[in-house]
Parts: sequence; C-alpha cells; structure tokens
Amino acid sequence: MIHMQGITKIYEDNGAMALNNINVDIEAGEFVFIVGASGSGKSSFIRLLFREVLPSEGVLIVNGMDVPNLKKNEVPAFRRTLGVIFQDYRLLPDKTVYENVAFAMQVIEAPRRLIQRSVNSVLDVVGLQDKYKAFPSQLSGGEQQRVAIARAIVNRPSLVIADEPTGNLDPETSWDIMDIFHRINQSGTTIVMATHDKHIVDTMRRRVIAIEDGNIVRDEQRGGYGYEA
Amino acid sequence: MKLSTAEYFLHEVAISLRRKNLMSFASIGTVAVSLFVLGVFLILVLNFNRLAGTLESQVQISVYFNDEATAAKQREVASAIQGMQGISSIHYVSRAEAMERLRERLGDQKYLLDSLEDENPLPDSLEIVVKRPDMVETAAKAISKMEGVEEAKYGQDVIEHLFDITRLVRIFGLALMVLLAAATIFIIANTIRLTVFARRKEIAIMKYVGATDWFIRWPFILEGMVLGLIGGILAAIALRSFYAAMAAKIYSTLTFFPLMPQYPFMNYVAVAIILSGMIIGTIGSAISLKRFLQV
Repeated sequence: MIHMQGITKIYEDNGAMALNNINVDIEAGEFVFIVGASGSGKSSFIRLLFREVLPSEGVLIVNGMDVPNLKKNEVPAFRRTLGVIFQDYRLLPDKTVYENVAFAMQVIEAPRRLIQRSVNSVLDVVGLQDKYKAFPSQLSGGEQQRVAIARAIVNRPSLVIADEPTGNLDPETSWDIMDIFHRINQSGTTIVMATHDKHIVDTMRRRVIAIEDGNIVRDEQRGGYGYEA
Repeated sequence: MKLSTAEYFLHEVAISLRRKNLMSFASIGTVAVSLFVLGVFLILVLNFNRLAGTLESQVQISVYFNDEATAAKQREVASAIQGMQGISSIHYVSRAEAMERLRERLGDQKYLLDSLEDENPLPDSLEIVVKRPDMVETAAKAISKMEGVEEAKYGQDVIEHLFDITRLVRIFGLALMVLLAAATIFIIANTIRLTVFARRKEIAIMKYVGATDWFIRWPFILEGMVLGLIGGILAAIALRSFYAAMAAKIYSTLTFFPLMPQYPFMNYVAVAIILSGMIIGTIGSAISLKRFLQV
C-alpha cells in the first residue's frame, strides 16, 4: 500500500532536512499512528503521502503509484485513491453539510444519482444524516470534523490520511472521531494518522511509527505513544 | 463534458459574479466602454474604406469643350480619347443634359436658374472613366492639350487626401484598439485573480480530492468569457444607437457620403464586437490563471 525506501526530504527554501533516509512499508488494511514532536518530520511524512510535497530522494510508492514520478496529468487520478483529513477541517463555509460532501464527487464528475446515494450513505456513517442542511458555522468542531471525514471517504478511497484530526477537539469528541476511524478501518480502508494524542494512541494499541529529527526511532505493532504528553 | 458538470460550472460562474457584484460590474463596464470605442473605430475605418473605394471606382475625368468646338471637332476629340490607353468608358453630356442634371441637383432651389431665362451657360462635355486611379493624371494632361478642349478636371487631390485620412484613422485606430484590448485584458485578469483568491480554499480541496486541472480552471475561464460576453453585448447595443444617430446626421448633411447601410453591416459589427469581448475575456482569465492558479 505504502512503500518508502531511502526517503529524504530537504526543503529547498531553507535547506532544512525534514526526513532522513526513511524506510517504511505499510500494508493494506493497517491502522498506523505517526507520532513525534512538532518539527520532528511527522508532518512532512504525511504530506509526502498525498503529494503535497515531493521527496528530495528515494522511492515512494502509494496505492501502487510511483508518486514522485507521476506526470502532472496523472496526479488527479492518484489523489482519487486517497482521502485526506486535516486538523482544521477545511470545509467550505458557504456550502451546507450535504454540499460539502457532494463537492468531492462533483469535482471528479460523478453521476448525480451516485452522488446522492453515496453522500447520504457516508453522512449515515458519520452520524450527520439529520444535519445535512446545516452550514459549517452551525456545527460543533466535532461535527465539522465528521463532515470532513465524510468528504474524505465518499469516493471510497483505499487509504485515508489524517493529519492531527483530533488536534482541535476535546477528549470526548476525539473519541467519537476515533470511533468513526475505527469503523472505517474495519471496512478494510488503510488509515495513516499523525497525532499528538497520547491517550488515544495508548488506548487503541495500533502500529506506532515514531519520528524524531527526521528519523524513524521506533516502529512497533500494538505500540504506545512512548512519550510523556 | 457531462451535462451535470456543465451545470455545475455555470452555477459556479453565477455565484462568483453575484458575490463580487461591484467588481463584476466595474469589469463589465470597462469591457463595454473599450469595446464601444473599438467598435467606433471599426465603423470609421470600414466607412472610410468604402468612401475611398467608391470614389476610386469613380475616378472620372470631366472634359469640357470650348465654345469653338464644333460637333465634328467634338467627335474627333472623343475618338482620340477612345484610342488612348486605360480608358474604360466615355459618355457624352450635352449642355442641355448638363442643365437638366443641374436642375435635378438643385431640387427645391431650381428657381435660381430662372434668372438665366433660356440661356445655357454650360458647355458640352465628356465624362471619361479610367481603369486605374494612377492613370487619371496623365490622361487628363494629354486631353487638356487637345484642340477644342477648354479643360479636363479630375478629383485626384480629394482621393489622395482621403487615402491619407483613411490611413491615419486605420493606424490610430489600430494602436488604440491594441491599447484598449490590453487594458481590458488586464482588468479581466485582475477580476479573475480576485476570484481565484476568494476561492483558494475550494481550489485546494478540489486538488486534494482529485479534480483535474481543467476542471478547476473551467469556471474561471468561463467567468472571464461571460464578463467579455456581457460587455460585448452592451457595447454592440450602444454601437447600434450610435450608428443610427450618425447615419441620420450624415444623411441630412453630407448627402454624398456613401455610408455603409445599417443592415446587415451593423450585425457584422455586433458579432465582431461580441466575439472580441469573449476572446479578450478568455485571454484575461487565462493570463490570470497562469500566474495565480498553481494547479
């Protein structure tokens, strides 16, 4: 699913080395936490996965595609195989819940009937079917993040990438979100999630990849956060 | 392109235009004014061209006989002219016919001729049409030296002045058109830049979920096109009234001026102006996207 070999990322503008010779394989159906302090390279790791940034060196295969060597016109097809979720939700404020989710299908020109069916079904998955007419400003943070999750999975990606999805949420709401991720993972979708939340990592006991100063310092199945939060 | 996609694009354009009400209004206004001026020059150039063409096709020499020229002498001169190179036609105008024409031209004021009683001061003459305007001068000189000829007149000066004017209008108009087109493109590019800025979040999300570059670009291109289209239509409507007013004025004062008839001429102008508007709008958004939309 994800194959990283000798991945190094140096930012050209300031010469900072964010990742140093990373080697990782993530299999289909895994649930992986990426942990590390701010500036550890965790964020670069995540951004490489959806081709927000390109590696300076190394081999990066995601969903069977050679990410650094994709042609410009192949990038959209690649991105359709993933769902991306951010800490700040990134919803469109002038669109309703329904429209925000449908947007992800409209822009890849899905047929209207399929859009209707799929949006209703994912809103059901995230438990927002009765709020489909609401605008983001009328929702709580947790609800907004659920809309973002619905948008990320509505096109049925095989890999979901989440960058600190619970970073802005209180513990209880965070658990609601993790419950949704758990269910998505149960249905066979691979999940890679960067997080600071010690409690979540320690409780869920999934594979943990810890990054420090651009290096992988720990990679264990059913791991814990390993740091004092 | 799928129907639902086309619908989506149009919807996006409508939202965008509505959202930036004042800005859209300003750019449509600028496009309309620029295209109107552009249209005025187009109309001027085409009419001057027609005037020059009409006069050119009428490069004619009027040959006036003096009083001593007998009918035989006149025939002799006519056949001599016939034998010259580059003459396309000769028409004999008797003094009686000339008087008749004068009466007609004076119209309501033909009473002025009453004081002449039965005197006819006009000479017999020949109207000669030459094949090319540059032959007029030589032919006229040769003819004026012939026996029995009082003088040979032609309108070469007028034509040359007219050509100069046409050339000036054309050059000046072209320069102005280029400037105005550039200004309009700039205005539209700026409007689209604002749209791109206002929608940067949407654009980012579109990229994350795998929209193609062209899918992202289309609404912006369309918006520029629509701005140009609306501006073009407004300009075309204004030009139509302008031309009608100008035609009325010219028909009442400069009756000789061979103005382009309003139809179908103004339809062509309208189509040209509206198309230019759309092309300019499209170029404007394309430039903006190239600079501000990193897809």
